[in-house]
Amino acid sequence: MDILQGEIFRYYDHFVIPFNIGVWVLFAVIVYKYVRWFSRLTPEDKSLVGRGLFSRKVFGAVGEVVSESLLHRRIFRVDPLLGYMHMSLALGWFLLIAVGWVEASMHLTEGFAPLHAHVFYKFFAPSPAGSTAETVLSNVMDLLLLFVLSGVALAWFKRLRSRALGMKRTTKHVVGDKVALAALWLIFPVRLLAESAQAGLKSIPSFLTGNLGEWMVSALGEGFVSGFSAVAWWVYSIVLAVFFVSMPFSRYMHIFTEIPLIFLRRFGLRSREQRSAFDHFQIEACSRCGVCIDPCQLQADAGIGNVQSVYFLRDRRYHNLAGEVASNCLMCGRCETRCPVGIELNTLRLNSREKFSALPADDRYAYVATADRSSGGGRVGYFAGCMTLLTPRILHSMERIFDTAGEQVWWADRDGGVCCGRPLKLSGETEAARRIMDHNSLLFARHGIDTLVTSCPICLKVFREDYDLGPVEVLHHTEYIQRLLSQGKLEIGKQDILYTYHDPCELGRGCGIYDQPRDIIRRAGRLAEAAEIRDNARCCGGSLANLEIGESSQQRIAASLSYHYRQTGADILVTSCPLCKKTIGRSFGEVKDISEVVAGAIRQ
Amino acid sequence: MAIERSINWGYSISRPRAVDMDANEHEAAARLLRKLPELQACITCGSCVATCTAGNLTEFNFRMVHTLVRRGEYKGAYDELNKCMLCGKCRLVCPRGINTRAVVMAVKRILGEY
Repeated sequence: MDILQGEIFRYYDHFVIPFNIGVWVLFAVIVYKYVRWFSRLTPEDKSLVGRGLFSRKVFGAVGEVVSESLLHRRIFRVDPLLGYMHMSLALGWFLLIAVGWVEASMHLTEGFAPLHAHVFYKFFAPSPAGSTAETVLSNVMDLLLLFVLSGVALAWFKRLRSRALGMKRTTKHVVGDKVALAALWLIFPVRLLAESAQAGLKSIPSFLTGNLGEWMVSALGEGFVSGFSAVAWWVYSIVLAVFFVSMPFSRYMHIFTEIPLIFLRRFGLRSREQRSAFDHFQIEACSRCGVCIDPCQLQADAGIGNVQSVYFLRDRRYHNLAGEVASNCLMCGRCETRCPVGIELNTLRLNSREKFSALPADDRYAYVATADRSSGGGRVGYFAGCMTLLTPRILHSMERIFDTAGEQVWWADRDGGVCCGRPLKLSGETEAARRIMDHNSLLFARHGIDTLVTSCPICLKVFREDYDLGPVEVLHHTEYIQRLLSQGKLEIGKQDILYTYHDPCELGRGCGIYDQPRDIIRRAGRLAEAAEIRDNARCCGGSLANLEIGESSQQRIAASLSYHYRQTGADILVTSCPLCKKTIGRSFGEVKDISEVVAGAIRQ
Repeated sequence: MAIERSINWGYSISRPRAVDMDANEHEAAARLLRKLPELQACITCGSCVATCTAGNLTEFNFRMVHTLVRRGEYKGAYDELNKCMLCGKCRLVCPRGINTRAVVMAVKRILGEY
């Protein structure tokens, strides 16, 4: 019995109790969450995981875990100093654990060494043998501690001056996050004090803790340092415990969620238009770093500060998501392109809206069954879309382009038609949207087209993503016009006009069409690019995805955008979305759709 | 009645109709206006109806529905608004800048039980 007790208590002091409680609570909650999430994955998702685990995708995932979870490469792209801050905390702490484990394993050779003996190695370390390996390791550990401390110092500095780290605004945290954050900030300074005191008492040489400890002993006396050390180890253990217990319930759950998320994403799992268990992996992988706040125009131009992706994900995670928050988003996707974790922010926003929408009636949209007001006939179908019908200049320009190119065109909705369904989908009425999508699909099939051209990027996105049109090729009119120009079916003359181009969200970030419109504009005149373009282009503010903001907010967003484009000195702003044209037209001088530019420059 | 149906006079007479403001329940209408006070700026010009995608294909009159709802006439409003495809054209033409799509959705949410 004595031997057994000696075995267990060889590396023991009362201060390790809080740490051990913290670790076991953390471990239990994480296991509970993992089991819950994985067991609730859909059968298809589970089989994707099963196949993925024994494929080469695993290696790619491991690489991404290193580059994102440890090095934080994507945050470096936002701002190098911000990247360094995140990297020093993640990589630094990871290496402290890994190297510390090696160091402890080398010396705690007498019997079983529990977890806390490794973590509090300096406390349990035998007096120095003075070997080279030992000195090197303790200096490496000091260097790593300094690395992490530099990150903590930057984090403090970021509270005072976030702009120095590339962020205009930072996240407003909830109480739980603040507790966890305070604990995290205390861990490393307290560790430095505790380890230094111990190193001073035991005369373990190293450049940071060793020297600091030596100075403490000489300046304050051994008796004082001994008492101080006892308190410091207790505090260190307690802050670790506080951090560990708060981890799974706070933003720091992202540490344990991002890793499985990276694997699952590599295995092909995605969030869908209906909620699924996979969503948990994305929602809890959010570290609330706040990188999504600055690109949000609702924040910058409309002064709305509680709906950004970071707050949306937080509210959804803690089950207090309000409909007003879920539906107050332009879904422009600017934050999604910046998110360092690569969370599918738009999809998650979309599938959260369904529960706030009204219940659909069974006979809803029965009236569309007989709606076919199409005219003309040809292999090319043209779907103007609701918004194009409201901007007849685009319609007439397209007519002129079709005529000049000699294309036989079937006009799907020139005299009125059924909406594409995306506005309903964006409003969370997924099932209702499906009804009118089915109607349109049948309509297109009945008229035997092989190309479907649309002038509206909103329609384009839904045709490409949610319609099953078989062999029918779906093109936006920018793609179609560019094709006509390069085939020589259409010729335009270059004029001395300075254009600037606005990327519509649904066309650019939504469908990846950036180059075609620019190519067309360069054929018709000169192009002056604004500062924020392509995947960083701003939204016009008129997005149908936002169900909340009023007229004044929309206009403020558009006015700020117009100011941005006026800096280019362009005569005319060109866009390729009827809704953008309408919205920006209120505050920018002359706004033209790209089809108008082309129709006006046709060489007869 | 038989004569009314058989002869086309080129015009018709609206059936007598009155909204009894005292008999109607106004709580839902008040909730709607609390959520979207801008609706009070409506001048019932009918631009929304003139441009309506659904109204082009079937009998659907957004101006009539929301005007009646605001006076406590909720019957049939939910089903009627289910004809809306939320395309948003009405919002773009509204001279008062009313978020018409939000009105449609708010009325449906509030009247879900009627």
